[in-house]
Amino acid sequence: MTNKIKFGLTFVLAISLFMMSCLPSAPGGRGGGKAARTITVYGFSVMKESLEKEIYPAFAAKWKAEHGEDVSFQSSFAGSETVTNQILQGAPADIGIFSIERDVDRLIVAGHVPNDWYVTPQKGIVNKTPFVILVRKGNPKGITDFADLGKEGVKVIHPDPVSSGGAQWSILSIYGSELKKSEAETGKRDEARALNTLKTIWRNVIATPGSAREARTQFELGQGDALITYELDALLMKDANAAVDVVIPKSTIFSEHPVAIVDRNVTAEERPVVEAFRNFLWSEEAQKAFVKNHFRSATNEIFNTTNAQFGKIEMPFTVEYFGGWSKAYPEIIEKIFRDQVQNK
Amino acid sequence: MSANLSGIRHTRGFDVIKPLSIMTLIIVMMPLVLLPLASIFIFGTSNGLRSFWNALTAPEAIFALQLSMVTSFWATAFNVVFGLFAAYVLSKYNFWGRNALIVTISLPTAIPTAVAGFALLLLWGPYGILGKYLEPYGIHLMFTAAAIILANIFVTFPLAFGVIKPVFDTMNQSLEEASATMGATRWQTFWHVTLPSLRGAILSGALLTFARSVGEFGSTILVSGNLAGRTQTAPLYIFAKFNEGQVEAANAIAIVLALFSFLIFSVLFFARDWLEAE
Amino acid sequence: MTESTGKTQIAVTVEGISKKFGAASVLEDINFEVSEGETIVLLGASGSGKTTILRIIAGLEAPDSGRVILHAKDVTKIPARGRGVGVIFQSYALFPKMSVEQNIGYGLRLRKKAKAEINEVTDGLIELTGLQEHRKKYPSQLSGGQQQRVAIARALAYNPEVLLFDEPFGALDAQIRTRLRREIRALLKEIKVPSIFITHDQEEALELGDRIAVLNEGRLEQIGTPYDVYTKPATEYVATFLGAANLMLGIINDGKFEAEDVFLKIEGDVPVRDRQSVKLVFRPEDVFLRKPENLTQNYQPLTDGFIEEVNFVGAFERVVVRLNISTRQPIIVTRPKTETTAFPLTIGQKVKVGLVRFRILPNYTLASERASRVV
Repeated sequence: MTNKIKFGLTFVLAISLFMMSCLPSAPGGRGGGKAARTITVYGFSVMKESLEKEIYPAFAAKWKAEHGEDVSFQSSFAGSETVTNQILQGAPADIGIFSIERDVDRLIVAGHVPNDWYVTPQKGIVNKTPFVILVRKGNPKGITDFADLGKEGVKVIHPDPVSSGGAQWSILSIYGSELKKSEAETGKRDEARALNTLKTIWRNVIATPGSAREARTQFELGQGDALITYELDALLMKDANAAVDVVIPKSTIFSEHPVAIVDRNVTAEERPVVEAFRNFLWSEEAQKAFVKNHFRSATNEIFNTTNAQFGKIEMPFTVEYFGGWSKAYPEIIEKIFRDQVQNK
Repeated sequence: MSANLSGIRHTRGFDVIKPLSIMTLIIVMMPLVLLPLASIFIFGTSNGLRSFWNALTAPEAIFALQLSMVTSFWATAFNVVFGLFAAYVLSKYNFWGRNALIVTISLPTAIPTAVAGFALLLLWGPYGILGKYLEPYGIHLMFTAAAIILANIFVTFPLAFGVIKPVFDTMNQSLEEASATMGATRWQTFWHVTLPSLRGAILSGALLTFARSVGEFGSTILVSGNLAGRTQTAPLYIFAKFNEGQVEAANAIAIVLALFSFLIFSVLFFARDWLEAE
Repeated sequence: MTESTGKTQIAVTVEGISKKFGAASVLEDINFEVSEGETIVLLGASGSGKTTILRIIAGLEAPDSGRVILHAKDVTKIPARGRGVGVIFQSYALFPKMSVEQNIGYGLRLRKKAKAEINEVTDGLIELTGLQEHRKKYPSQLSGGQQQRVAIARALAYNPEVLLFDEPFGALDAQIRTRLRREIRALLKEIKVPSIFITHDQEEALELGDRIAVLNEGRLEQIGTPYDVYTKPATEYVATFLGAANLMLGIINDGKFEAEDVFLKIEGDVPVRDRQSVKLVFRPEDVFLRKPENLTQNYQPLTDGFIEEVNFVGAFERVVVRLNISTRQPIIVTRPKTETTAFPLTIGQKVKVGLVRFRILPNYTLASERASRVV
């Protein structure tokens, strides 16, 4: 190898080494290190907008005004189950916001979150959103309620209940809505009818992506005729001028989103600011921010009813209708859906 | 390696096999490779150049790209040096368990990357088998850039080694002996005789490792904690953008990665020729 | 690297070298010396151990017992890099990423010599080996012969104690081989560095060596000048390996060789006793054939025989003669053109066979058997 080339290569190598020794600085000019106070938030994907755009800055300003300290946030967003797995494996989350209470239960079992996490006025729920049906603009297939999704020729996108909290909510909403309606008609819950509806709908499912987000994206890209999704997702799509319409079912479940402090990761010193932030999520400002981002408020119904975009649901219910997740998961998701519908 | 293409003439006059074969090649590649690649480019710029530029210059995007470069660089540096060392030892010395070791080095490719990431967490995470002893000392291996480098090292471990070892195996032993008889120590022989012959392989190995590392996802998403603007590499960023529904932005970064890989493999192709030419 | 002070003219001593690979004995008690400026050829078939001796002298392998002494220094325990030997490998082993110049200068660069000195020595060697046109080229651009010259120049650059050549002509065409042999021999005579060649080609050995050492299955059968080894082979192996040989069993009786009705007077000093079983060894070119009535007294008559085969092989004629003894033994005779024109032969013809020269060897084929018998 000639000397010139040797010199050139050594030079390139030296420059590369120099450049690569430094990790890039975090955006926002905060450098690689922690500010005076840093709160690490792990949340399910949809939370990102409202938190980053409005709630973080609002809280930081408030805390600064009250305590004179700077607060900065580190966030990680993914599917709710993934977030839970990460926290279980030791991800440094101070607070977790999940799309499903089951995930919090898993953290309790592993010791990350105490049993009484929900002992707050709002029972630990930070916001909620009902499940609706998204169809193509003009509703060409004429969908009016869940049962219609079982009609011949309707293609449904439904995320995989194994990995998606949203998918589990969706199953419950279908099943529960039929129970509710039969109860209203005859006074008894008709389980056979509910199971049948589930089966006919599942027959029409053409894709089962890993998360509610992915399902939404697939639908956006033109797959399928209908998507059962959070009302919030549906409204976001309408914001983006997607050619879709929202069908509000007669009866549907409200997905309630819990927030939990991951006690294991929070030191006594950090606790005040972390708790303050959690409580801030129930403040008017935060709740207004959520509503702005299409979540329904958990604290103040007025915010919800005065919002023109939120459709009226005749017979709403929550997971309590089934006796809580501890009953709903084994009985409905596992025994009924997994064993009798999915694996058939 | 510039192949000496066969100049055999099979027929008199017009040979239809040649254009036919080339066409078949392209037709097969179209739906499998070319069109998907093209669609990334098309979709990434579909919202217009302005939107594309915004997507590229978003601070979190730039951070993600930089982080990917840095972590891949160090993972590559380690794996090339170690791959060189391992290839040397394993082709020079015979010992009990040698073949088992060679096979073990190649194992990481067979393991799904998510499993790899998970294994690392179970080992080094704050509640991990070994990690829990480091916790009290404040040593956090996981959920940091270091974790990304570790995961990349594991996943790309056999690549450089696999490129370098065959060169060692086929190397003429007389060269080393000649160097020794001329007065060289083992190190001098390695530096002056062995290493120059390995230049091409080292470069290929390094670029291969780097390119693979930059695109690594399955293990990174687990061990990094996916903290935006802190431990989020480019592939993770793309995935996050996708999850948020910002598909165009995701594609924009994907375009950058695709172009970058294209650059790397072109360099690989031409530099290899140049290096082997002597 | 010690200068020869004139006190000793021996450059290389190999003393009692033995080596086993596993259970097989590859070398057994090898002893020989190489004088200053001398070229020795180790001649033997593959498996004779010649390569192993070379590698032991070079320091690439260690002997089980024995010593290697270079210029009065015992280097047996010293690894290859400390011995200062110059090895020319069968494949030449030129460093592919270095040019001719860089290859030649390698040894000096290792010894951290000044750039000026390196250039001077390199220039000198390039001129010596006639590589001026090729000095910037890389090994892959050179022919076999050119590569060989680079290998030699490279080894000479650091004033080696001895040059070791491992079958250097094996990879070359026959014509180039003979030409290069002469060139190398001339070169070696000019530079006066002691050299050891190993080869299996007896013609090469005869032409290259000041002395030849014949190896057979790890033992040194004989060492001597080409003339001595050819005309006075010490064992049957040497006799048959170097040139062709005819053999006949017999005994010594009253100072003469006797086999059936063959009687030969023995001249000179031959270390055999009366009644000892011996072998008669004579070369095809030392046999004269005449019509029975034309045998003269210049050579000893062997016996009668008849022509079985006559083959024209260019420069001479090869004849197979069946001897009139009970064993009906055939012998090979080569006859030059003068003979064939003066005395043409036909198949079936009866002839008288006479010997110009012959050797008597004790009747055992291996030098090892000789060692084990009490003579």
